[in-house]
Amino acid sequence: MKKLLGTLTLAAAVVAAPALAADYPTKKIDMIVPFSAGGGNDTFIRALQPLLEKRLGEDLVIRNIPGGGGAVGMSRAVSSRADGYTLLAASNAMLTLEAMGNVAFTHDDFDFIAKVVEEPYVIAVNSDGKYKDLKSLVSGATSDTPIRIGSSGVGSSAYITARAVADITGANFNLIPYPGGSEAISAAMGNHVDAVVLGGSELRSALKSGRLKGVAMSYAERSDSLPDVPTFQEQGYDLTLTVWRGIAAPKGTPEAVEQKWVEAIKQIVAEGAYDKTARNLGTEVSPLYGEKLDEFIDHSAEVMSAAAGDLAK
Amino acid sequence: MISGYLDGLEMVLQLGTLLAIAGGTLLGIIMGALPGLTSAMAIALLLPVTFGMPPVMGIGMLLGALCGAGASGSIPAILLNIPGTPSSVATTFDGFPMAQKGEAGRALGLSIVASFFGGVASMVILSLLAPPIAEFALRFGAAEYFSLSIFGLVIIASVAGKSLMKGLIAGLLGFFASTIGTDPITGVGRFTFDQLSLLTGINLLPALIGLFAVSQVLKDAFEYDPSARLKASEHRVDIARPRFLETLKHWRALMAGILSGSIVGPVPGAGGSIASLVAYDQARRFSKSPDKFGTGHAPGIVSVESANNALLGGALIPTLALGIPGEAATAVLLGGLMIQGITPGPMLFDNHDGTVYGIFLAYLVANAFMLLIMCLGIKVFIRVLMVPRKQLLASILVFCFIGVYGVDGDTFNLYLMLGFGVLGYFLNRYNFGTAPVILGLILGPIAESNLRRGLQAFQGDWTPFFTRPISLTFLIIALLLLVITILQNYRARRPA
Repeated sequence: MKKLLGTLTLAAAVVAAPALAADYPTKKIDMIVPFSAGGGNDTFIRALQPLLEKRLGEDLVIRNIPGGGGAVGMSRAVSSRADGYTLLAASNAMLTLEAMGNVAFTHDDFDFIAKVVEEPYVIAVNSDGKYKDLKSLVSGATSDTPIRIGSSGVGSSAYITARAVADITGANFNLIPYPGGSEAISAAMGNHVDAVVLGGSELRSALKSGRLKGVAMSYAERSDSLPDVPTFQEQGYDLTLTVWRGIAAPKGTPEAVEQKWVEAIKQIVAEGAYDKTARNLGTEVSPLYGEKLDEFIDHSAEVMSAAAGDLAK
Repeated sequence: MISGYLDGLEMVLQLGTLLAIAGGTLLGIIMGALPGLTSAMAIALLLPVTFGMPPVMGIGMLLGALCGAGASGSIPAILLNIPGTPSSVATTFDGFPMAQKGEAGRALGLSIVASFFGGVASMVILSLLAPPIAEFALRFGAAEYFSLSIFGLVIIASVAGKSLMKGLIAGLLGFFASTIGTDPITGVGRFTFDQLSLLTGINLLPALIGLFAVSQVLKDAFEYDPSARLKASEHRVDIARPRFLETLKHWRALMAGILSGSIVGPVPGAGGSIASLVAYDQARRFSKSPDKFGTGHAPGIVSVESANNALLGGALIPTLALGIPGEAATAVLLGGLMIQGITPGPMLFDNHDGTVYGIFLAYLVANAFMLLIMCLGIKVFIRVLMVPRKQLLASILVFCFIGVYGVDGDTFNLYLMLGFGVLGYFLNRYNFGTAPVILGLILGPIAESNLRRGLQAFQGDWTPFFTRPISLTFLIIALLLLVITILQNYRARRPA
């Protein structure tokens, strides 16, 4: 009985609070995930869903709208009403699509509410293979036989990062696209490719099990999540990129809505409620809001479009 | 290891865990039975619920959904000739003819028991042999995938149609449809006509629902006969019960299903769709009465359904042992594992805290719940056939629209579904069959992208496709099957 009362009071408090703030939200909120269920974006937001619902006091309805490497779902988000009831689980994919020139929108058509987590790109080799580090990969690749590098589909952010790695190291890489990260990982485990370039969370279990070995990663400094993997920077290559995930809204979403979300996310971050889940998923909570976030997005967009180079239309 | 199983047992045998598994199984059964809703969706829906749960409880619930949906896809396949999932396409070959003979209850009874045996056997194989099987699956590179898909194409042609030529034509039609969309290697759009929805190619679900459900509704509507209502009520409800002994009697078909599911199922990306076909083909080839297949023959149902649930255990092998999911449902499941902090990989099996054994046992329990719920439900399911045809056809169509729209809320896919419906109607009318089209659509991208990926990796040299042992084996078997099938067709046309 006591528990029931407690729940009721909590529920009442949760319902009453937003009414005082700015009336938002008064109904369920659609969250567009521009990929199918089970991907990094999907797991990120589904793990955050119960925490957000508790703070916002309304249901979050996750709508997977896959297609065109995220293009279909993002186009849908861009053309939705900017009333705060349709939001987007955003990631690098948006900037890659923009860099490839495949879509009609740019990142300027969105209001970015928050960056929540990030992870590095990692280049990894088979632990039993003949290449042990980035140096041997790069020097091995300059002979007649190019090094086979697996990655996820053409135009995915991992693929473009792989191109950026090839450009900056000047190595002769034979980039082989796979439909997704898991196919690329299994090719690396089976020695069908010499190395893979993928996001850290996709590679997490392969690295942790010791089947694959990370030889470089794209953070500016080493990370606690992958303490043994050296950065590109410390090996003399000026490459810094991160895979980020966060929340975006169509341009023109009311300031009050944005504030409400920023508050909710700040609260979740402050309580550390998402830390463990984020770590389990192979990502790190690294929140960014407001102007700093906009700067970060602009910078990432530039790097991506430079790396896409002649791939772009 | 025994103490590991005891620890695992302790985690599973708790009221909360058992309830969670039962709930997951029930949801899986409901979603698997409705055309258009898939096990991947069931698992994704349950995912947020599992966060607060202990690992075995949360994963058990997700496995329940996987297992339930794997078994219940056969319900609409048998009753209405509409497969609930791509892997139950082959269930329609014998399940629907048996239902048409008024024995829908028997067909359901066989499929439930075969699913159960398939699921349990695959879990035993998974718990004993996962690491070596996973190592074997890793040996599949581009060449092996390409040859596997060619092998699959030959099987399609030989099982699905009445005529080899027509089956091949329908399969190639599916192959062609699969070239629509973004080129897998260069990223260029093909036949997309600037349609955003076509960028990722023809979505499998609208095609499946169109080819099977809409085409069937069209056929029934054209052949509508008011007196048929009487015929529907001839379905005998009293024979609707689980058929343990009859299933065991067809042990050859059962073994064919379990082996194909467990061997082909673990191959990521390719296994799921063809394991049940391989099982059907094997059961027919080793049968003393191959002619009866396709006419409502019990071993046909047993082989497909046991393969269907065996392949789930098979697909869990690379998911748990390597962290490589085979398809959508296990991909979502992998997300669930990672959120729980369980890292898939070889060391998961050396883990001594019993979690992995708890997961195995939870899957066994899920299979038991599946059997129980399906047995309780069998007399309810069969009442679908008592619904007057008119209302039934209309409601099937409603479910088709909801299911296809529900995937991604894209109206384009509704038109695609209707288009495939009309195509399916004519394909059936002229005996081409619709199963080869859908399988061509599934195997096409595997064949094409791996041929090109292989050529890129081997730097333009095509000989590795013939010199790599696994690849060569598949190609030789495919060739042999083709020759045998042609000879059989030739003999059948010239009766001695």
